[in-house]
Amino acid sequence: MSSLLFESSRDDLEMLVGEVWSSHVDDRDGLEPAAPHPWSAEAGAATTPCWSGAVSVTGLWQALIAVDLAEPSAHALARGMLGLDEGEEPNRTDLGDAVGELANIVGGNVKSLMPGHHDLSLPVVANTLLEGATELLPQIVLDLAWRGEPVRVRVLALPPSSSHHDQFPEVSE
Amino acid sequence: MHALIIDDSRAMRSILRRIVTQLGWETSEAANGREALDLLEHGLVPDLCLIDWNMPVMNGYDFVVEVRSDGQWRDVTLMMVTTESEHNRIVRALAAGAHEYVVKPFTPDAILDKLVLLGLTATGVPA
Repeated sequence: MSSLLFESSRDDLEMLVGEVWSSHVDDRDGLEPAAPHPWSAEAGAATTPCWSGAVSVTGLWQALIAVDLAEPSAHALARGMLGLDEGEEPNRTDLGDAVGELANIVGGNVKSLMPGHHDLSLPVVANTLLEGATELLPQIVLDLAWRGEPVRVRVLALPPSSSHHDQFPEVSE
Repeated sequence: MHALIIDDSRAMRSILRRIVTQLGWETSEAANGREALDLLEHGLVPDLCLIDWNMPVMNGYDFVVEVRSDGQWRDVTLMMVTTESEHNRIVRALAAGAHEYVVKPFTPDAILDKLVLLGLTATGVPA
């Protein structure tokens, strides 16, 4: 199942992520569209050393917005956001902080695309892939690259319950 | 001029610090509303607080309410800097006493524009 809300919001999300990048990460090298990267094996184990940050949205919609970055991208992200010098390496706390804030900004803006009142969780960060609850369905997945390394933004969501369907028309796959 | 930057993300505090220090401001930092209140209660008198909404321990909205409930901080300018962009949240924060509201992501110019709007400059005082 997918929803008109998120189908029509893919362009908004691409624009938003680009804006986040140029404002807070890198105003020279932007994100590029990329082919899907094999982040995990069929068994679910991460195949690429990576960092994931995610926030949950609760309300009419239940959603998880996650940002996945290959390890080198996470390091460059943290260096950029924290204003570290090129030779200065961020520690794990720095990496978690920067990836979490990136997820927070992206997730907060995705929340604003959802009609009605919703609450945003504090970010959760892991040095591996974060998966949402199994009932959350992929709504949008943006496969991107930054400086040649994969970056992915995922919006997983459970649309409003049937009692709310009249307010939010849906199309089925 | 002195800005107190209140955000649970060190990365975001760093971004905001670089913007305001380029204007010649001094800064202090707190990781949540409670830490920020402690700084105020220990005598810090900032000209401006830049306040995130979603933080552990004490969120930015509760911090605004606390600050506005005490007359000794009535001259402190409060600016929300947050991902919370729902209209009712913006109205709620402004009604509680925040002067301005900036939604993340933002550019340095967006912050600067708000400071100009508030009458805050590197050498001046709130209008």
